[in-house]
Amino acid sequence: TLKLIYTTATVQRKNVGASGPEKYTEAFIKKQIEEFNLGKRHLANMMGEDPETFTQEDIDRAIAYLFPSGLFDKQARPMMKHPTQIFPEQRKIQWGEDGRPFHFLFYTGKQSYYALMHETYEKLLDVQKNQDQLTAQDLPPQKEKRNLAGSRWLTKIELEEMLLEKLSDDDYSRFIQLLQKLVTLPCCDITEKYIQKFSKEVPAQLQKVVIEPLKYDEQGVAFSTGEGTRKTARATAVVYDNGTGKITVNGIDVLHYFPVLQDREQLLFPFQFLDRVGKHDMVCTVSGGGRSAQAGAIRLASAKALRSFVTEKEVEFMRQAGLLTYDPRVKERKKPGQEGARRKFTWKKR
Amino acid sequence: LCRLTQVRWSRYNPSFLEPEVNKELYQKPWEELSEEEKEKLELKAVQPIKAAPPTVSSSVFSDPMISKFTNMMMKDGNKVLARSLMAQTLEAIKRKQLEKYHKAPEDEKETIECNPYVIFHQALKNCQPIIGLSSITKGGKTYQVPVPLKDNRKRFLAMKWLITECRENKNRRMLMPEKLSQELLQAFNNEGPIIKKKHVLHKMAEANRAYAHFRWW
Repeated sequence: TLKLIYTTATVQRKNVGASGPEKYTEAFIKKQIEEFNLGKRHLANMMGEDPETFTQEDIDRAIAYLFPSGLFDKQARPMMKHPTQIFPEQRKIQWGEDGRPFHFLFYTGKQSYYALMHETYEKLLDVQKNQDQLTAQDLPPQKEKRNLAGSRWLTKIELEEMLLEKLSDDDYSRFIQLLQKLVTLPCCDITEKYIQKFSKEVPAQLQKVVIEPLKYDEQGVAFSTGEGTRKTARATAVVYDNGTGKITVNGIDVLHYFPVLQDREQLLFPFQFLDRVGKHDMVCTVSGGGRSAQAGAIRLASAKALRSFVTEKEVEFMRQAGLLTYDPRVKERKKPGQEGARRKFTWKKR
Repeated sequence: LCRLTQVRWSRYNPSFLEPEVNKELYQKPWEELSEEEKEKLELKAVQPIKAAPPTVSSSVFSDPMISKFTNMMMKDGNKVLARSLMAQTLEAIKRKQLEKYHKAPEDEKETIECNPYVIFHQALKNCQPIIGLSSITKGGKTYQVPVPLKDNRKRFLAMKWLITECRENKNRRMLMPEKLSQELLQAFNNEGPIIKKKHVLHKMAEANRAYAHFRWW
């Protein structure tokens, strides 16, 4: 099952669409839309612009000019938006005047979800029938695989907004499993359009990091610098070319500064990964943190410095080995009512 | 009140993937990879990746099983001590095997295994139970039902038995590395108390075979 572990602000948004019966009637919303359009034209006249080509950005600028507000929260400032953006979409009443519901799955409780599942399964059966027909006619089955790398499925919250209905985690994971099964079969055009409704493009590639070019010091030896942090430790490393593999930390030799084998292994990790153990010299400065944090910080700094010496492919390999990512793990805070971050006080029956 | 903040959370976004430290996988040329691996690589190129933990390194000396065992042996977060004990154990194994090697006649010399890592892995494999027992309550009574174990659970049980055995059943003066190396060599030859414990568990599972149908997974 897909469990939401990393919580963001999106979780706190209430699903108003599925909460209860209609709070705003259709007539009310229509009136609001008319008032909005009229107000837009008045505003355009006031600002001296053309009412026909007055866009939403112009409206925002005009309101910010006419009603300046110093409030910190942007949501609390005066705004003028189209009613569909202010009043969230809600489900209309699902039954007619005689009390009979419109949808045939109304009494299941989650009508739109089950309708969606039925539709998706129908598409699956269609695709299988198509495949069988092709094999019956002795034609080779189409093998076009969608590029999964650039797209992601809709999240549970987005799906809830689309269906205007509350979903449980289990329901959502079942739907995603069905979609994945559909994708693995050789798809035809019809199903492509259907699947595109439920997938989103992942935004542009991971930020392209600019690799700095090598610098040359007085003797003509190439060197490059890198910075790294881990927990509270800050480190800067300067990696020199044509070296013997000597490492100096804060002016002290590495054997004296890091008596523990694990830390020295971490320092040598980037060099060992690129097979350049005895070829570079390193001089680093580090402050803050503890023994292991300082070692991790220097490791990150040296990996960043080594990027300038190495081809792009190897930089990608380093990234996939986890050498170039900043480690976000920090000590979890102690909570009130508990002894530590997770440990609770001893439970006493009386 | 439904919980919005989960208890088991991590500082990383769930889209982050685990890092792959093994150097050999990266040195394979593009043509030799199978289709699945090519797809995996393409996916990995777009997704962000977590940082490698400080216990893991790409050198020949870092072994995931050995680091797991060291962590289990560690007390109160004293990793330095646990690592040194592990190193002393491997050294002790090597010394004992070398003694045996030099004393053995010519034809037996090839059968004696001197690599402590190989001995460690083989000993752990020999200690792993195949089925385990799980207590299931049915109709008020709790039955011990034989159940197939997952790989992780097998490895964990083998390591746990080794460590508890070494901590409890030793003479007053014997140090941990010596006792551990003794147990590992015995397990490598399929003898010793841990192998006995594994056989006892298997026999119990065979005895409770009648309740095997209570399992629903």
